[in-house]
Amino acid sequence: MEKKQYELCLEILRRFHKANILNDFVLIGSWCMVFYKDYFVSIPFINHTTLRTRDMDFLISMPNKIKQVVDIPILLKDLGFVTSFRGSRGYIKLDHPDLILEFLVPAKGKDSDKPYSVPKLGINAEALRFLDFLSENTIRVEVEDFYLNLPHPANFALQKLIISHRRTKEDKAIKDRNIALEILKALINKGEVNIIRQIFRSMPGKWQTKIIRGLEETNEKEILGIFKK
Amino acid sequence: MVGVIKGVLKEELQNSLRMKKDYEQALKNLPKGSLAVREIRGHKYYYLVRRIDKKVKYIYKGKMSEEEKQKYSEAKELRAKYRKLLSQVKKQIRFLRSSLRGKEAI
Repeated sequence: MEKKQYELCLEILRRFHKANILNDFVLIGSWCMVFYKDYFVSIPFINHTTLRTRDMDFLISMPNKIKQVVDIPILLKDLGFVTSFRGSRGYIKLDHPDLILEFLVPAKGKDSDKPYSVPKLGINAEALRFLDFLSENTIRVEVEDFYLNLPHPANFALQKLIISHRRTKEDKAIKDRNIALEILKALINKGEVNIIRQIFRSMPGKWQTKIIRGLEETNEKEILGIFKK
Repeated sequence: MVGVIKGVLKEELQNSLRMKKDYEQALKNLPKGSLAVREIRGHKYYYLVRRIDKKVKYIYKGKMSEEEKQKYSEAKELRAKYRKLLSQVKKQIRFLRSSLRGKEAI
């Protein structure tokens, strides 16, 4: 990873922490892998150079409970971020050649293309399915002098397996599945088989079936064994 | 794996193309010109220096409020930053296009 890119990522987190809004977010997406390194310390399995895009996704699990009023586009303007409204749908992306920030909220009710406005943060977030599953079990990792919320790696991996089925582009589905398998194997090496099993069993039956089918297709016997026991 | 890498490169190219438009638009939206100060007998007078039809013109602004001066100074900083980032985006586009065009399988 480029040092410049990582430094920019840290600067964003520092600013969110100073503005007292970092705790309102859970960092999701492939950038989680960077910060999982402390969780998997001494586990050689995890690949820190996982293929990832510049997208840095922040999940706002409880947008109605945000207390601070902070205009995020203005907070990051001097770093060179420009705001772009995605298509006609109206949710924003903050663009920089090294990073692209996106804000997501869990989708509730019927499928809708409409953006979710978070006026206190000066943004429109995108509502997506299956995000509640990421925020219901989180870990906190220490970064410099603050803590960052991440989904528990097991939740992260299982969610990736579910959404890999919904991807229309095959390459994205493969990428999701590869990341998921890499994390699950690291968790097994760490001795967290029971946690994986417990989280898997807490999922709705339909999701479990989808995950098992996907693993059967890729012939992941070791992981299948954990779920089928 | 080949397809995955190619997919990521394609996505990044789309992102960079969008970003190029964003920076060009952001540059257009900034107030044009920059401020020049002339001090005459202890008084400061401001001129807006800008290019009009290939010629550089000094437009007399007289005395200006702090707010307005701040606006031009911020715009100057942002213009320099956006130009630098726009040039970085253009390099990324060239790199991504050449990677996707390459004869070797990606």
